[in-house]
Amino acid sequence: MSDDLDKLFRDDEPAEVDPAAKARALQAAMQAYREAAPEKNSQGFLSWWRPKRDRSTSSEENKMIKTPQPWLLGGVATLAFAVFAFILVGPRPDQLSLLSASDTQSQGEAIRIPDSVRAVDIPENKTDDAQPAVAQPATQKQISAAGEQTAAQVAGQAKAGPPQPAAAEPEVAVNGIRESLANTSPAKRSAGSSAPVVDAISAEDIGRFPDTSVSESLQRVPATSADRAKAGSQAKTLAAAPPPPVGANSAPPEENEEIMVTGVRAKPSLLKRMFSKKEKADASISVAPSAADDMRAPASMPEEDRDNFKNFEINTVKRVAEEPVSTFSIDVDTSSYSFVRRSLNRGVLPPKDAVRVEEMINYFDYDYALPESKKVPFEPNVLVMDSPWAKGKKLVHIGIKGYDIPASAKPRSHLTFLLDVSGSMESPDKLPLVKQSMSMLLNSLDPKDTVAIAVYAGAAGTVLEPTAVKDKQKILDALGRLQAGGSTAGAEGIRLAYQLAASSYEKNAVNRIILATDGDFNVGITSEDKLKGFVERQRERGIYLTVLGFGEGNYQDALMQTLAQNGNGAAAYIDTLSEAQKVLVDEASSTLFPIAKDVKIQVEFNPAKVSEYRLIGYETRALKREDFNNDKVDAGEIGSGHAVTAIYEITPAGSEAAMVDELRYGSKTANRKAGGGEIAKDANTQLEYGYLKIRYKLPNATRSQLLQVPIAVDNAGNPHANDKTRAREARFASAVAGFAQLLKDPRYLDGWSYEDALKLAQANKGDDNFGYRTEFVQLIRKAMSAAAM
Amino acid sequence: MVDEKLVRDAQSGDEAAFARLVEACYDSIYRLALRWAGSRADAEDIAQIVCVKLGQSIRSFRFDAKFSTWLYQIVLNCARDWSRSQKRHLHDELEQEPAAHSSGADAGIQLRQVLTKVARMGEGYRETLLLVFAEGLSHAEAALILKVKESTVSWRIHEIRKQLSET
Repeated sequence: MSDDLDKLFRDDEPAEVDPAAKARALQAAMQAYREAAPEKNSQGFLSWWRPKRDRSTSSEENKMIKTPQPWLLGGVATLAFAVFAFILVGPRPDQLSLLSASDTQSQGEAIRIPDSVRAVDIPENKTDDAQPAVAQPATQKQISAAGEQTAAQVAGQAKAGPPQPAAAEPEVAVNGIRESLANTSPAKRSAGSSAPVVDAISAEDIGRFPDTSVSESLQRVPATSADRAKAGSQAKTLAAAPPPPVGANSAPPEENEEIMVTGVRAKPSLLKRMFSKKEKADASISVAPSAADDMRAPASMPEEDRDNFKNFEINTVKRVAEEPVSTFSIDVDTSSYSFVRRSLNRGVLPPKDAVRVEEMINYFDYDYALPESKKVPFEPNVLVMDSPWAKGKKLVHIGIKGYDIPASAKPRSHLTFLLDVSGSMESPDKLPLVKQSMSMLLNSLDPKDTVAIAVYAGAAGTVLEPTAVKDKQKILDALGRLQAGGSTAGAEGIRLAYQLAASSYEKNAVNRIILATDGDFNVGITSEDKLKGFVERQRERGIYLTVLGFGEGNYQDALMQTLAQNGNGAAAYIDTLSEAQKVLVDEASSTLFPIAKDVKIQVEFNPAKVSEYRLIGYETRALKREDFNNDKVDAGEIGSGHAVTAIYEITPAGSEAAMVDELRYGSKTANRKAGGGEIAKDANTQLEYGYLKIRYKLPNATRSQLLQVPIAVDNAGNPHANDKTRAREARFASAVAGFAQLLKDPRYLDGWSYEDALKLAQANKGDDNFGYRTEFVQLIRKAMSAAAM
Repeated sequence: MVDEKLVRDAQSGDEAAFARLVEACYDSIYRLALRWAGSRADAEDIAQIVCVKLGQSIRSFRFDAKFSTWLYQIVLNCARDWSRSQKRHLHDELEQEPAAHSSGADAGIQLRQVLTKVARMGEGYRETLLLVFAEGLSHAEAALILKVKESTVSWRIHEIRKQLSET
């Protein structure tokens, strides 16, 4: 194929130049050339009063502009005044309209629209369309500066516009389509806050919808295509009444037309396959009027990156004197790491919003001390070390590892898979990967566990009633029958899945819904808040939700996060089979069996020893200080064997690395206030950087318990202070944290680079039984080359 | 293709010189536009826009780079703007006549398919392909026109080949 490229262009002799077109172009060019001549640089006399830019840095060009002659100025001003006076004194309606019309015209001249785009110069083939507009009563004159298309638009408008009363006042309207295009932006923006579907179409002008029907307009939305299966004839168009701007997700179904919106990504290869398949399989499904049109429509739309990530500000440096307490919820999600890996494997740096530092850190399992008994589900590990990237600063590692439930004690699990089988899931990294992942998970389940499968696409449906895992073949058969196609009604699917899960509900078992999707919830209830509320209520009934993300190009990260967070589950992003192995098999127990929920961390820093601190990551998990002790406030959960790490960067008091200046006024009182807090007793103030408190609830409890540990200066009294393994783990976590910050926002890294991250990670890989850390080192290398591009 | 003197004359206000300049450039502008847009009418539109642009801005050309480099940039900018404005009016495409090529109709169709596919790969790919293969420029020259690194151009070409051989 590669040799073909040369040949292709050689074979393709471009058509000969049309001399007439050439002459036209030449003429237009000459006119532009003359108009652009510096001597004639006038833009009406008003331009002389405008402030001139670039005068001081001018070149020869500007020097040639002569200062306007005073007599000329005076003359023009007088003339203008005379015209104005004439308008005031003797206006007769017809004269006025004539005058203002010509005025507008001359202003159009002054703006100097190139001939090619002026509506008046319509190419021959368009003149017919424009004719009716001219034939309209002269009461309404439309002068349009929006290009050739507008000529046709004017025609349409003139036809559709309400008939003017004969005595109506003359009116001159200047229309552009820019405003209507701009109108869609706020619509999209406001939609973004409430619903995940962010596309809007607005009419280009009053009385004119951009297409002949709503369905055709909807086709303009990337990732949708209209299927005319049930539509009437194509000629059924929208009535001439001015339609309001239509948001794609709220398009009201028309009386005489039913519209099916399918969530097919605009990949022509895919479309082609779909069309050919449909035509062969069932002739009654008529594909849109002309296949050629459809093939062309997506072809000229480059595939947009519609991955949806929430934008958030990174945590900044806080002064201990002003804000001594930091509170956040733990987070065991890992989806960000997988997404970053996927981007880097393609040779591009991931979008900054896709990088969540804490998820990158928590992707790895760290060798932390395990709690001894089941009563306390985890033990906090604290280690203070020097910051690798900033001199004079220290990193406080807070590591938590949940105890591992022994296999014999594992509760029964009742899993309900909710699979997205919409058209967008067809590519090999989506539905086929989902199927493979699920069959892998089946192997790690107990024969007595049950599995149910629900799917959602155009409509939600049950594929498999709750079935015991010992009937494995039945489950596998059901999986094998799944096919992608149709639109995505995520909300309906979730309802159905909860019904299924409720039917197999068992109090002491793990009741969990595993949602696998590429994140397209483009039909049905799309309001994020409603979904959230629904998932929250179900959580209280004891059914949890885990979200597995697949595919890319349209990944609705924020929504997935919200759902998983409110459903007491983790969100993981699965890009490869080995990632599926990691999430569903190696870490199945941590994914499936929660040992503690609503785990919150609060650290109070000691202003006598620490001047500033910064929490690395956890931006989306911040909690209010008062919420720490409020058991009603939801937070993250920890699964069996899960390791969670949080890192603070602190600046010891008196260090020169401090970034925020001391306050000149009142800092002493602030210090005294903070110092007089609940725990920092005099004896402790010299020994502790701060005090760590962790609140958690056991899985079935409603009251929370408290764990507290001081963060000692220089690890004094810390049993793990000289533990080489712990130090190595902490250094590796720092390397991950540093790398994530490089990808996201390197502002606090002080010149620390990918090379440094590479060295640090390389040196602290440890045993690395599963090869995850080696892969991480490779990722740093890939990021280096991607950044160099 | 155009010597410096002609450009300088045109800049100093010599209309005949500018006319000769446009005369000399038009064919190559049109050729590139035709490959970009695929239909003669569209190519003529683009070429005309480019000529108007040229008339407006020839005086601001500062000889920082070769004239041809600058011209390519203008053509590509206009072509991109044109594509964007077309995208807004997709429905008008129905009226377009199919691409007319004087010879090698098959090759023409195949080329269009390749170009559409490449255009969908992302920003800059179609430009790179056209400059390197249709215009026969070196990677370094193409990089200069596209204002990217030479390695980026090579990489894009590599990606294009990979993508095309996959399907």
